[in-house]
Amino acid sequence: MKTFIAALTLLISISSTVYAGDLITAKGKTLGRDNHSFIYEEKDACKTCHVNAKKNTNDAACVECHGTISTIDIDTSRLVNAHANPHKSVHYGEAISCIACHAEHKVKAPLCSECHRTWFKEM
Amino acid sequence: MQGRRNFLKLSAGAAVGSLAATLPSTVQANTCHEINWDETFDVIIIGSGFAGLSAAINLKRSGIKSVLVLEKMMQFGGNSAINGGWFAVPKNPIQLSQGILDDSPEELVNDQVTAGRGMASKEHLQAIANHALDSYHLCVDSGVKFREGFNMLVGGHNKARAIRTVDGTGGEITRNLYQVAKNEGGDLRLQQYVEDFVMDGNRIIGLKVRSGFRYPNLSTGEITHIKTNKVVIATGGFAMNKQLCNLLDPSIDPTMDCTNAKGATGEVTLTAMSHGAMPVHMNMIQTGHWGSPDEGGFGWSNALLSITFHEGMIASVLDGNRFMNERLDRKYCSDRILAQRNPDNTPAYPIAFFNYNDYPNDDRVVRALRDEMAWKVDSIEELAAKFDVDASALKASITLHNKHVENREDPLFGRLMDTAKHLTPPFVVSRIWPKVHYCMGGLKTDVDGRVIGSKNLAPLPNLYAIGEATGGVHGVNRLSSCACLEGLAGGFIVSKTINTDMEV
Repeated sequence: MKTFIAALTLLISISSTVYAGDLITAKGKTLGRDNHSFIYEEKDACKTCHVNAKKNTNDAACVECHGTISTIDIDTSRLVNAHANPHKSVHYGEAISCIACHAEHKVKAPLCSECHRTWFKEM
Repeated sequence: MQGRRNFLKLSAGAAVGSLAATLPSTVQANTCHEINWDETFDVIIIGSGFAGLSAAINLKRSGIKSVLVLEKMMQFGGNSAINGGWFAVPKNPIQLSQGILDDSPEELVNDQVTAGRGMASKEHLQAIANHALDSYHLCVDSGVKFREGFNMLVGGHNKARAIRTVDGTGGEITRNLYQVAKNEGGDLRLQQYVEDFVMDGNRIIGLKVRSGFRYPNLSTGEITHIKTNKVVIATGGFAMNKQLCNLLDPSIDPTMDCTNAKGATGEVTLTAMSHGAMPVHMNMIQTGHWGSPDEGGFGWSNALLSITFHEGMIASVLDGNRFMNERLDRKYCSDRILAQRNPDNTPAYPIAFFNYNDYPNDDRVVRALRDEMAWKVDSIEELAAKFDVDASALKASITLHNKHVENREDPLFGRLMDTAKHLTPPFVVSRIWPKVHYCMGGLKTDVDGRVIGSKNLAPLPNLYAIGEATGGVHGVNRLSSCACLEGLAGGFIVSKTINTDMEV
């Protein structure tokens, strides 16, 4: 799988922008992102993100494949206004985890939308 | 440090299981338990806002080897990250360039003592104000940019001394301080929920932490125990804890939203109280009558209403009439706004409006309309229809108000009409409802940041608190631009204190 992830990382780094994947039925009753379907084919799929236990996770696996918040470009033409770039937030900069805004198994409204209610939708 | 064992006498409540709870208290207090410590740090700071980050940087710079910052949320910065970026600094360079040369920390403290109406601690405020310039330089040296030439007189201050970050948020400070704290060797971690203190008598010796916690689900993460010499509580206020706010001040009802970040729930303050820390002024909870139900956080409402309160009017959606003097203080206005209820007791959010054509390009209006927390309406009929108000009643109410504007006299509520304007559509309209904003109360500390115990009114060994988590500093009313100062200055104060206490 590592090789595959490395290949995918390369693929992502070549394309200038990435999007959060669509939520699909990934495995059994588990929902997951369509761009992660290759992970769900693995035997120890859960351990990709839930390294120690299912109740415990952080964004280490996200960063391993996708890079950090400051290296992942966003399609700014899709933003509601110039201030609404969540990867260049004046409030957080790099001081934020991917999973503050992104969820793998359910739709989630980004943190920004707690205050800026018209800026983002659940994704 | 994995697997290191300590045999301890634990006081009641801390890491003592249900079995211990069934034993007589004398036995419980002396029961020996062993704890497998997962890690050890010289100092642990709980919270990563202005106070926590400043403390981390100051402690590292003072030579403390291992400093751990625990943040329970998935982002650093706490409520400070969504703060408005106003910062009171007597003798700041912009103030001096404006020719204001007679300000001083003492002048600021005098203003704060007046606002505190006899309940503020002059000694604490002075200790904090003495570090205003240090705090300012910490920001600037960390990469924070303040608005050029911008130094304002804000409410309750007798001098212009409030500067503001370029980005208009305290997040500019926390995101930069985070980088500095990290670069200088601080260990900063997200998703760490402090469940309890581990005590040896009245002395804190470690923390029980739910690591990998995903807010707000307390069944997530795994329990770890971290041993430490000193704990700094920098967890902010509890304004987001509706149950606690309502217990302390029943006038804060559940319909009121809050300006704070979601994590401002105060459980570490409660944990400290359960281990003997003394709380003060807990019922002094600052609310703002300038909130809007159509946005989160502090939002744009306050700035928009700075126009409405003077030039516009506020009407009930129940009968179209004005119901208060729009220019009086927060308590008077809050009470009257909160009385606006539908028959089923749900809020009947009043409508606040002024002439659009006077401010079409004003930033306060543009962003409010853009983000749909305010709307432009072209006629009184449109206004009435949008908010389901009786159109003829609303029209009569506006006509009456315009007569009062003409006469420069408000016989209904005695409002000072010097700034009132004749109202004619199109209007900018927003809805209002009070919000909870700031907790003046919290843990009592000595002037150096040591948490005071309730048993003997002496410091609880190894336990410190700074920032909004502390109480009794501001008294009845915290002035604008002083929370940022308090948090940042607290980091300087507690670092010095911890170094002093470590030498003893």
